[in-house]
Amino acid sequence: MRKIISSLTDGRGFDIGLVALPLGFLFLMSGLPLLYNVLMSFQEVDMFSLGSFVRPFVGFSNYVALFSEPETWPIFANTAIFVTASIAGQFALGFGLALFFWVNFPGASWLRGLFLVSWVMPGLVVGAVWNWMLSGDFGVINFLLRESGIISGNIFWRSDPSYALWAVILANIWLGTSFNMILLSVGLSSIPDDLFEAAELDGANVWQRFYTITLPMMRSSIGAIVSLGLIFTLQQFDLFAAITSGGPNNASNVAQYWAWDLSFRQYDFARGATISVIMIVFVMFASVVYVRSTKQEVRG
Amino acid sequence: MSIRKFLMAGALALVSTSALTVNAQAADEVTIRIWSLDKPEQPALNLAREFDEKEPGIKVEYRLIQFDDVVSEAMRAFSTGQAPDIIAIDNPDHAVFASRGAFLDLTDMIAKSTVIKKENYFQGPLNSVTWKDKLYGVPKATNTIALYYNADMFKAKGLDPDKPPQTWDELLAAARTLNDPAKNVYGLAFSAKAGEEGTFQFLPWVQMAGGSYQTINSAGGVKALTAWKTIMDEKLASPDSLTRGQWDSTGTFNSGNAAMAISGPWELNRMTQEAKFDWRVALLPVPEPGAQRSSAMGDFNWAIFSSTKHPAEAFKAIEYFASQDDKMFAKYGQLPARSDITLPPTGDAKKDAALKVFQEQLKYAKARGPHPQWPKISKAIQDAIQAALTGQMSPKDALDQAAKKINAVLG
Repeated sequence: MRKIISSLTDGRGFDIGLVALPLGFLFLMSGLPLLYNVLMSFQEVDMFSLGSFVRPFVGFSNYVALFSEPETWPIFANTAIFVTASIAGQFALGFGLALFFWVNFPGASWLRGLFLVSWVMPGLVVGAVWNWMLSGDFGVINFLLRESGIISGNIFWRSDPSYALWAVILANIWLGTSFNMILLSVGLSSIPDDLFEAAELDGANVWQRFYTITLPMMRSSIGAIVSLGLIFTLQQFDLFAAITSGGPNNASNVAQYWAWDLSFRQYDFARGATISVIMIVFVMFASVVYVRSTKQEVRG
Repeated sequence: MSIRKFLMAGALALVSTSALTVNAQAADEVTIRIWSLDKPEQPALNLAREFDEKEPGIKVEYRLIQFDDVVSEAMRAFSTGQAPDIIAIDNPDHAVFASRGAFLDLTDMIAKSTVIKKENYFQGPLNSVTWKDKLYGVPKATNTIALYYNADMFKAKGLDPDKPPQTWDELLAAARTLNDPAKNVYGLAFSAKAGEEGTFQFLPWVQMAGGSYQTINSAGGVKALTAWKTIMDEKLASPDSLTRGQWDSTGTFNSGNAAMAISGPWELNRMTQEAKFDWRVALLPVPEPGAQRSSAMGDFNWAIFSSTKHPAEAFKAIEYFASQDDKMFAKYGQLPARSDITLPPTGDAKKDAALKVFQEQLKYAKARGPHPQWPKISKAIQDAIQAALTGQMSPKDALDQAAKKINAVLG
C-alpha cells in the first residue's frame, strides 16, 4: 500500500498520472466525438435516431453512395484549390507584412496590432462585407476594376462559376493574413540579432542573409503556420455561407460546407459524417507530415 | 476563504435556490415554451407576450431562432428531450416532423375548438399541416409570389402600365424592352438561389406549365427551365440572381435597378417606404393564354411537439394566436391563411391594390410536398436550376438528373 502511494507521489505512478490526465481529457473531448463521427458514417442515421447509439449498420454503403455522386470529385478538387490558394496567399502576404513591420519604423508595433482587426472580426461579418464588395452590379471591387480600366464589363464574382471559388479565397486570404503576420513576426523577433551582425560583417547581402539566416531560423514558425493554416482553411465555413452558399452549381462548394449542407440542410447525417471522416484522414496525414518535418530541427 | 466558510456559502446558496423553486411551485404556474423566428416587429413575439399577460396561470417563454436554424435546433431539441411546447415551422418542413411523430396530432382538438375551424383555412396551407389525413398543426400565416412592376418605367418605355404581361412571352418581351444596361436597369429581378428560395420561385413555373415536382423532367418542367435560361442568357436579370435571395433581389427593384420583380407580400412594407415610384402587382404570367394558374405557398405553421407536458395550454395559446389573425395584415403586413377573414383596407392605395392581387394569387398557391424528405427533393431541383442556368447542362439533361434523384427519394 505504502509502495503504491509513494509511487503516486513521487515515481512511476506520478508520471503515469501526469500523462493520463491530459490523455483522458483529450479522449473525452475530442476522441469520443471523433469515434462517434466514424461510427455514424457506417450507420443509417436520420434526424430522429440522432439521440441513440443503436442504429442499423450499413457497412461502406455511405462511402459507395458518396463517390457515385457526380459532384463529389469536383467538390474535393475545389477543397484542394481552396486550401492551397488560401494558404499560399495568406502566407505570402503575411510573411511580407511581418518582414515589413520587422524594420521597426516609428509606430510599427502599433500598426501591426491594428492589422489584427481583420482576424478579430467574426467570419459571418467578414462574409457579409465581402458579399457586398463582390456584388456584380454594384460591388465596389467591380467599380474599382472598371474605373481603372482593367475590366470592361462587370465580373459576377459570386454567380459566375469560374470566379465564385476565387471570390471566397480572396475573402479568406484577407481574413487569415494578419494571423499569419503575427505568428511570423513572433518567429522573426526570436532570431538573435548578432547572427545578422556577424553575417553583415562577413559581407553577406540582404538576400543572402534572408536565405541563409531568416528562412532556416524560421522553419518551425513556418511549419506551424502552414499546418495551422491548413486547419483553419479546412474549418472555414462562415465565408461560404455568407458569400456563395457553395453555388452556383457547386462551383464554390468545398468538403466542409458540403458536410454541413448534407447534415443540417438535407438531414443526411450519415453522409455528412462520411465526408468528415474523409477530411479527418487528410488532416491526420498533414499532421504527421508536420510533426515529422519539425522533429529533426534544431531549435535556436 | 477557509473551508468552513466555503461550505457555509454553499449551504446558503442551496437553501436560497430551493426556496425559489418552492415559491415557483406555490404559484402553480404552467410554463409554455415557444420557439419562432419572428422578430420584435413580427407577430409571434407580440402574440406570445399578449397571451402571457392575458393568462395569469400560464407563463410564456419566447425564444427567437434564426431562419436557418429552426429545423436543426428543433431536431436536436426533440432528440434530446428538450423540445419546446410550441414551434413555428416552415411549411415544407412540417411533414418531416409530423411523419415521424414529433408533432402532436391536433385533429380532435381542432374538431372541438370554437376558434380554429378547418374549413376557414385555404387549402394549400391546410395541406401542409396535414399528414395522412390528420392535422398536425395550424397555419400561422401564408404568402405567395406575384409579379411586381414599375409602372413609371413601363410608361417611359412605351408599355401600357395597365396591361402587365399575361404570358411568359409577354413577360420576356417586356423584360427585353425594359432592360437598360446603360442605366443599370435589368428587366426582371427574381431569385434562382441554391436554397429553398430557388425551389420556391421555380416550382410555380413548372406547375403552370403542367408539371410538378414528381414529374420535374416533363415537357412543362423543361419549358419552365428554358424560359428561366432565356432570362439569364439574355441578361434580362442580374447574373447575381443565382446567389441572391428574394429580399435582396427585390431590393434592386425598390432602388430602380430592376423594372419588374417576382416576390411576395413580405416586401410590401419595405416597398411602401423605399420605392419612390408607382409600383403595382400583377398575377404571375402563365405559359400561354388560358393555361392554368399556379403559385408558390410560403410561410410558417404552428405546431405542438408531441413531448409537451401541457398540450391543453399549448393549444389554448395557438387558439389565441388564431383569434388575432384578423389584425395580422394591418399590424404586421402578413396574410392570414384564412378565407373567412376580409382584410380591412389599410388606407394605402398601392398596398391595398397589391393585397387584392396577392389574395387572388393565393387561390392558386400550392404547398411544396408535403413529403418527409422534402429537403432532398428540393435540393435536386435547386441543383438542376443552377446547372442549367450556369450553362453546364441543358435544361432537359439537368431536369433528367433531378428526376432521377427525386425518384430515388420517392421510391
